[in-house]
Amino acid sequence: MNSYQKNIRNFSIIAHIDHGKSTLADRIIEKTGLVARRDMKAQFLDNMDLERERGITIKLQTTRLLYKAKDGQEYILNLIDTPGHVDFTYEVSRSLAACEGAILIVDATQGVEAQTLANVYLALDEDLEIRPVLNKIDLPSARPEEIKLEIEDVIGILADDAPLISAKEGVGIEDVLEDIVKNVPPPSGDVNGKLKALIFDSYYDSYKGVVVYVRVFDGSVKKGDMIRLMNAEKKYEVTEVGFYSPGPTTAKELRAGDVGYICASIKQAKDARVGDTVTNDANPTEEPLEGYKDPQSMVFCGIYPAEGEKYETIKDALEKLHVNDAAFNFEPETSTALGFGFRCGFLGLLHMEIIVERLEREFGLAVITTSPSVIYRVVMNDGSIQMIQNPTNLPDTIQTDHIEEPIVKADIMIPKEYVGAIMEICQERRGNMMHMEYLTETRVHLHYEMPLNEVIYDFFDALKSKTRGYGSLDYEFIRYQKSNVVKMDILLNKDLIDAFSMIVHESKAYGRGRFVCEKLKEIIPMQQFEIPIQASIGQKVIARETVRALRKDVIAKCYGGDISRKKKLLEKQKEGKKRMRQFGSVEVPQEAFTAVLKYDDNK
Amino acid sequence: MKKLGLYIHIPFCKKKCVYCDFLSFECDDFLVQNKYVDAILNEVELKCREYAGYSVDTIFIGGGTPSILQEGQIERIIKKVRESFRMCENAEITIESNPGTLTREKLTEYRRVGINRLSVGVQSFDDELLKLIGRIHTVEDVRDSLREARNAGFDNINIDLMFSIPGHSKEKWHATLEKAVEMDPQHISFYSLQLEEGTPLFEAFKQGKFNPASDEEDREMYHYGINFLKEAGYQHYEISNAAKPQGECKHNMKYWSMQDYLGIGIGAHSFMRGIRFSNTSDIREYIAESGGCGYKTYTVNSIRDDAGEFMFTGLRKVEGIDLSEFEQRLGTSFFDFYAPEQDEINEYINNGFLELRGDKMRLTEKGIDISNDIMAVFV
Repeated sequence: MNSYQKNIRNFSIIAHIDHGKSTLADRIIEKTGLVARRDMKAQFLDNMDLERERGITIKLQTTRLLYKAKDGQEYILNLIDTPGHVDFTYEVSRSLAACEGAILIVDATQGVEAQTLANVYLALDEDLEIRPVLNKIDLPSARPEEIKLEIEDVIGILADDAPLISAKEGVGIEDVLEDIVKNVPPPSGDVNGKLKALIFDSYYDSYKGVVVYVRVFDGSVKKGDMIRLMNAEKKYEVTEVGFYSPGPTTAKELRAGDVGYICASIKQAKDARVGDTVTNDANPTEEPLEGYKDPQSMVFCGIYPAEGEKYETIKDALEKLHVNDAAFNFEPETSTALGFGFRCGFLGLLHMEIIVERLEREFGLAVITTSPSVIYRVVMNDGSIQMIQNPTNLPDTIQTDHIEEPIVKADIMIPKEYVGAIMEICQERRGNMMHMEYLTETRVHLHYEMPLNEVIYDFFDALKSKTRGYGSLDYEFIRYQKSNVVKMDILLNKDLIDAFSMIVHESKAYGRGRFVCEKLKEIIPMQQFEIPIQASIGQKVIARETVRALRKDVIAKCYGGDISRKKKLLEKQKEGKKRMRQFGSVEVPQEAFTAVLKYDDNK
Repeated sequence: MKKLGLYIHIPFCKKKCVYCDFLSFECDDFLVQNKYVDAILNEVELKCREYAGYSVDTIFIGGGTPSILQEGQIERIIKKVRESFRMCENAEITIESNPGTLTREKLTEYRRVGINRLSVGVQSFDDELLKLIGRIHTVEDVRDSLREARNAGFDNINIDLMFSIPGHSKEKWHATLEKAVEMDPQHISFYSLQLEEGTPLFEAFKQGKFNPASDEEDREMYHYGINFLKEAGYQHYEISNAAKPQGECKHNMKYWSMQDYLGIGIGAHSFMRGIRFSNTSDIREYIAESGGCGYKTYTVNSIRDDAGEFMFTGLRKVEGIDLSEFEQRLGTSFFDFYAPEQDEINEYINNGFLELRGDKMRLTEKGIDISNDIMAVFV
């Protein structure tokens, strides 16, 4: 070990959503004096407004802190925050790979949750020193002693001397810092070796290009070096290296054990992907770091300009988002109902919601999104295989031998009183229970195998709603499996509206068909003529509703020459018409597309 | 010389009807009424200076219930108008009335000051229904009032009728129409009862105390009414109005033809020289300022406003609008102006809701039923 490394600690904070990760990060930053308390917005590391609003961290931020420990020495603490959602498992795993230790926050009132476990497994995969911390001990319902036992039983790590803290109240923060200094091992690595650094995050800066966050394992890197990204097979000249503390601070070099950023005029996020290895082009390391994966889109949907919005503006915005986020991709597609638009791929449903919301908020765009879909593996009669994610492209059943759908392993944790209700909703969604275990007397861990298409539809909403928010979920893809899925179409006034088509399991088609027809009936206003709404599989109609014709919409009296009231009413009506989408002869409000996807507790 | 129609608002009622959301309130106090009329006289004097270049060819005294005013008040108003404005010789002068408030003396007074058209709020020839909607008069009162009006010399009379009253059946509506026609008025207005938020009737509806007529029943009564009146010799000339030949209300036609009209009194609306404006609705303020308050709303119409208003007011008339008049007023042809809406307009035409014949565009009877939906295209 080189002597400078002795006083470096690289660590992450891992937790289940809402257990206080971002708040603890804030307190640590505050405690080490980087940001004066009055300058702090709550949750400093979550710097996108959207994240702060939802209280979840999506995009990670990394900060270098200086801490004077009780032993009198000054330590460099590199805090690598991790995204807190199941959609971003891969990014979490790469962040963890950049560390030697992880603080595991467990809510002292709630205990171990699905994502707590999932994150622990990821940390164990990277051989990290895991340091449990019990948060929210200021709450009257905190049960620290019980939860400590739970951590030891369920996770199998010692929790006896875990710091008891309240990140919100700023209690016990120093204990956490001391714990890190004492128990997280310092980095090792040969500063004179060949450069080997891991990219664990990146973001786009309009002046510097893509800025990559790296952890240097061996060697060093400085301005002017030619670097090579080993998986992308691209070369760049380094224009700047530095740290975030928390703003960017230029440094002379980054050495083995350091965490910092590199700028090298990289144009697109996809050229510098998370997990890739940076080495020196002139003196490269032989083997890249393990664990690199191309981000795989799991969920797809169509994004179309809403009425009055231009295709080109949407395209520009999607390109900007893509530059920032390599895991999000898109390509042009055309729908007969919605015109020109884009097929977009996401890591998961939350990722999709975030992108759509950013389009609406950051770019001020109005978009229509179609039903999310997964990728189906279609085995044709001739044995060839097609991967289909757009329902419209599903080949005719005559040509196909069978269709396979993605199955995930779903880990669900719930208080035991909800077991019945959750087993029921899993059953409804074609879940297969593998086993069930009692984590403690009151908490149950259910292991299911479930089709991904059921999970993305409304499973998470249903789980939260049935467990009053106490249920938690983690899932990962395991395999493709033969399945009786069919394409269900929706017809308005006998015209097939492709944007409403979806692929569903045969056993669910009738229920979904009825649900969609009923929803559309509620939403589509009465028009000049009667509008039949039909759900069909092939030629067979499986559900039907009718929007009655508009019979009366007239103002009998306009009194005393006051036409302003009537005019306002007509203007409002005109506005309403503008928000509608013309499908053949039928006008459909844009909210119809999202409404047919909403989980309905009463169904 | 340019013409204008004068509207004068009298906001007082003996009792407010359960369905009414007009600007009116229960007030029998002679002193308040007198002060209000004072303010009206003053406003007339103020306004006439601004519009010296106009002559008045219609006056409409509406409410509320103008006939609630004690004897002499209407005379003061008309006299003041005559002193202040140039009057056309054959001006149409209308007063609205409630049968429960009309007396022989008042009717004689109205005739004496030159009022030549009487509008009577009858609503129904069914005592039960009258009671249900909170009217203060009976069918007997209606007959008495109409007889007295004839005796006083009124030969141009309008009767207001209402359908889709809770519990209304086609039979009852037929009976009311029949009795109305027997009275032989020049003009009949027939309105579908509207449930307006904030009225006692609306509250009762919200609490589920009655079922309003369905859209189908309502439209059936409406079309039945039109046919009945046509057979009785009346011409259907506006969505809710029918008249014997030459019996149309000239004043109301100004509203639907974008002609100038000037409103006097609280809440009164005006359209003069392409500008829409309205008075305060606050009677205390109005009296305190002696009718000289500033405008509550004041809108200089844009071309878009003009086009939209021309269309949606004009389409209320059964004869519809004149495309050449559109072009003359707006300086653009109808088809150029509404080119973006062309498909929608064609669809209404193809489906038989709108009719385009030569230079005229009008709503069909079927189109009237969904007129808001169609008019919204043009605003």
